[in-house]
Amino acid sequence: MLKSDYNKSEKVLTCAFTGHLDTNSCIILNNEVNAAIDIIKSADNTATLTDTTIIFDVSGVSYIASSFIRICVNMARQVPKGNFSMINCDPFIKKTFIIAGLDELLKVK
Amino acid sequence: MEVTNVERADELIRKAIFAAAEFQQFNQEQTDKVVEAVYKAGLNARISLAKMATEETGMGIWEHKVWKNVIGTQLVYESIKNEKTVGIISDDPITGITEIAQPLGPVFAVTPVTNPTSTAMYKILIALKTRNPIIISAHRGAAKCTAEAARICYEAAMAAGAPEDCIQMIPSGSREFTQMVMAHPKIALILATGGTGLVKAAYSSGNPAIGVGPGNVPVFIDESADIPFAVSNILSSKTFDNGTICASEQSIVVVDKIEQKVKEEFENQHCYFLTNEEIKKVEKIAVVEGAMTMNPLVVGQSVDTIARLAGITVPEGTKILLAKLAGVGKDYPLSHEVLAPILAFYSCKDYNAAINICLDLNYLGGIGHSAGIYANDERVIMEFSQLINAGRIVVNTPTSQGAVGGTFNLLVPSLTLGCGTGGKNITTENITARHLINVQRVCRRRINHKFMDADQRMYFDENCTEAVLKLEYHKNH
Repeated sequence: MLKSDYNKSEKVLTCAFTGHLDTNSCIILNNEVNAAIDIIKSADNTATLTDTTIIFDVSGVSYIASSFIRICVNMARQVPKGNFSMINCDPFIKKTFIIAGLDELLKVK
Repeated sequence: MEVTNVERADELIRKAIFAAAEFQQFNQEQTDKVVEAVYKAGLNARISLAKMATEETGMGIWEHKVWKNVIGTQLVYESIKNEKTVGIISDDPITGITEIAQPLGPVFAVTPVTNPTSTAMYKILIALKTRNPIIISAHRGAAKCTAEAARICYEAAMAAGAPEDCIQMIPSGSREFTQMVMAHPKIALILATGGTGLVKAAYSSGNPAIGVGPGNVPVFIDESADIPFAVSNILSSKTFDNGTICASEQSIVVVDKIEQKVKEEFENQHCYFLTNEEIKKVEKIAVVEGAMTMNPLVVGQSVDTIARLAGITVPEGTKILLAKLAGVGKDYPLSHEVLAPILAFYSCKDYNAAINICLDLNYLGGIGHSAGIYANDERVIMEFSQLINAGRIVVNTPTSQGAVGGTFNLLVPSLTLGCGTGGKNITTENITARHLINVQRVCRRRINHKFMDADQRMYFDENCTEAVLKLEYHKNH
């Protein structure tokens, strides 16, 4: 069961997820994340996120579908290089990003 | 902006890697659920896919392709369904060794024109069973039916919860693109079944490969054989899908003493021995001059079509054309592999001469593939088997069905037959799921007391010979 929480503080958007992020959950999650981004853009009155940092906290995530990897890649593309990171990653999930070849790009910790 | 081949290849691989990343989180139960769904969908589509393949390729017999689809789905599934392919697959408290299965990563599969849908479904099943995404490159002559088989399997896999893009097809037609994907550093393994060119390309790609190319299957009928039984079996194999299985008989070898009996039996069972003049005509259309490779024009065609192409007349209802040859090699084109109902026939003065002909045929173009023997003398069977270089020596059995396994013997059912180092393979086994996993071994401490109890200083003493060290090693044990 997907649970998500979004917290914006200064220029940092922290998205915390828990649960089983399968393909269906990721459809919901994708909409939620994009909505959070849109709010920032509209509040800052900008089309791009030049000085925003996005953090995905995946401490309670037990499974990720490839759709979640795509969401991460899309988010990382929207912010300057290095401004996306993933924290509290279970080793099982970290391995998934290593296999996808994205652990460094997405700063998976 | 036009997308380049490099970008297309990268995108294809990226999808496969993401699928691999998701797939490695599956447990055995989730994996088996996907495999079962794919097997059911593939088996249910066996007839439509067989008809489609026959129509598109213009090769073979659709009813026989139904059987191939059954082998590629039901028999393969039955052979792998209970196999452990995820996590801990064995645990031995005595040795202290625990084996853990890990997926390989994206598998690149080349499928042939001769067995397109069955090979595709078989490769999909063994890839999914081992949590590996698969990218299929179909022969351009069978692109549509292979894509349809892949689509059916993919839809079933997705419905059972498989990762997105776990099965992908690459567009046919561009050899350059195929080779680019094949050589991509993120491809974990190439499973190449097809013509010599593609198999060679697979091995040249720099990625690990299991490539299975041509065979040139000799079949020896010994004096001790039940001749009517042998001929009947050979017929059922060589006529199966008009001889398109690479393990089908290519040459029949007998000793002079039984030649007449064997010939009569073939004739009784509606086979036709070509005259020397007719052999010349058939050679011209069956084998490409110079290259000595089979002409695609005759592959999987019926005797009637071959006779028409060669401009010869054969008795109505003829099942197989036999050409009695005096030798092996470039002067005898029909001694090479031809996947059609044409057989070379040799009669030799004695047993040794017959086995020598079998060896010549074996090494002409089918090293490591398959061979057949009909005999009721165990000594002959074992002598033949030790001389022949073949992954499978099929005894008193049709070689097509026998080598593929699962019907006439207990070989693992497979549509990719390992040919050992002779065929530039790492294995002579029938390729199945267990070849698509990396096995990690957890090795717990188990002291080798013989070694530890030995006086270690002796190993540094120049005067201690092997004999002394051997005694010391075994002392008190």
